[in-house]
Amino acid sequence: MRRAWDSYRLLVQWQFLRLRNVLVLIALIQLALALGIVYGLSLLVPHLDHTSALFLATGAPTLSLLLLGLTVVPQEVSQAKLDGRFEYLSTFPVPRLTSLAADVSFWLVAQIPGTALALLVADLRFGLHLRAGWAVLPVFLLIALSSSAVGYCLAVLLRPQTAQPVTQFVALGILLFSPVNYPLERLPPVVRDVHRVLPVAYMADLVRWSLGAPHHLSLSAAFMVVACWCGAGLAASYRVAVRQR
Amino acid sequence: MLLEFEHVSKCYPGDVWANRDVSLGVEAGEVFGVLGPNGAGKTTLIAQLLGVARPTSGRIVMDGVDVVRRPDVARQACSYQPQTQVPVAGLTSMQAVTLAGRVRHGRGPDVRRRAHQLLQLLDLGEWERNAVPLSGGVLRLVAFCMAAVEPGRVVVLDEPTNDVDPLRRKLLWQQVRTLADRGSAVLLVTHNVLEAERCVDRLAIIDQGRVVATGTPAKLKAELRAPLRLELGLDLEASSPPFPAFVRRPAATRGRVVAEVAVADAGAAAAWAVGLQEEGAIVEFLLAPASLEDVYVRRVGVSLEEDASAAGVG
Repeated sequence: MRRAWDSYRLLVQWQFLRLRNVLVLIALIQLALALGIVYGLSLLVPHLDHTSALFLATGAPTLSLLLLGLTVVPQEVSQAKLDGRFEYLSTFPVPRLTSLAADVSFWLVAQIPGTALALLVADLRFGLHLRAGWAVLPVFLLIALSSSAVGYCLAVLLRPQTAQPVTQFVALGILLFSPVNYPLERLPPVVRDVHRVLPVAYMADLVRWSLGAPHHLSLSAAFMVVACWCGAGLAASYRVAVRQR
Repeated sequence: MLLEFEHVSKCYPGDVWANRDVSLGVEAGEVFGVLGPNGAGKTTLIAQLLGVARPTSGRIVMDGVDVVRRPDVARQACSYQPQTQVPVAGLTSMQAVTLAGRVRHGRGPDVRRRAHQLLQLLDLGEWERNAVPLSGGVLRLVAFCMAAVEPGRVVVLDEPTNDVDPLRRKLLWQQVRTLADRGSAVLLVTHNVLEAERCVDRLAIIDQGRVVATGTPAKLKAELRAPLRLELGLDLEASSPPFPAFVRRPAATRGRVVAEVAVADAGAAAAWAVGLQEEGAIVEFLLAPASLEDVYVRRVGVSLEEDASAAGVG
């Protein structure tokens, strides 16, 4: 266990040293992304009521976390496969998912300032009175891990040239057709049924809850569904990580 | 044997064989070269050892453990310098080497001391505190240090000298030798035959996925029963001297003649060449036994020529 922790810590350090020169840029992009989701989407609705503003503001972190797992992590893996880094790191005597954990940790930390600032600005702009509680950390971590596990599997299984359009398609689908920035009821019944199985609506509700905003689904059900997706995603990630060509 | 490949084969879909029935053994403390042309299956062999590729059949045994079934044992026991890039962008040489050693479970102070020592021994002092260049010989040398800083019982080096300047190559070969002297088995994959001849204890030549020859360089050269190589260096404007009968298959280029001489005729050939030099007809001469390159060309060249002629290449 001690060795696994040391390996994780060293790979996170490696990732930070490798990307430290672009860390500020990454944080700024994450900030722009979060602000874009709050303000950009509010431009679509000229007279934003309190409920819609709350949905947009609390949906932004969920979307950022989903995009982290479903686009950023797969792009990292695809790039690593292309330049040989993925195979090289897999030859080190470290637990198989350490590299994924290090990636998620790095990108999560890079994302925190942008997300926090976007929430603060949205709170002041729309007078939402959000209150981030203790649950923020486990909820954000759970969502980041779940989406990253799915993104990791896609990127390992697909060729890099295929992984990029597929993950972008998935991200676009989530952005437009998921009840993150608007209530579930707005979706057609069929899509609504699909979202009873998918974790996205539950993730959005967990984030709302962790930020002290009203939530709409059962919290225990939400935790259970997202935890199941996280567990299944990590199990699948482990399977593809130990796979030999 | 510390490491044994037993009848290892790998067949990809479409009946594409990366290697076939490869059997090799590597002792602790020896540098074992794997030579072969591009696409011969050398890198596949490494991937199989490191658990990245699974053999279709056969076993790879390390200290009695089948590492095909236990790739974690192989990862623990092998340190590796890949032919591809290593992820060191933005890192100083010291940071890159130290991190690699620590991830291989080396103790911090030991790893830092050894990293500093290796970088100095390879004349990389000026890069120790500076970012590693992203291409070229320095990057290759840093990648070597990353494999050597906390060496496994088996150290796998895939084309370690590519892009490295001649002076640092010498230093690198010394460190490869040192790794073996300290007890590691060094598996050296290369197509640089001339340098391998000076460094390896034993070697295998692989062609089209099969082992076509194995043994010490001396044994392989003796098996070839090759004639001696005679090289004459001429003034650029001078024409070739007439050749006596014992000088066979002379091939002249501008300023140089390369020919074969039977071992029994070595004395006569040397006397003839000394005479030419004294007359001023030639500038220098070299009479040498067959090199490993001659063995390699004899073993591999035939199949390459057959492939080329089958493809209609003249």
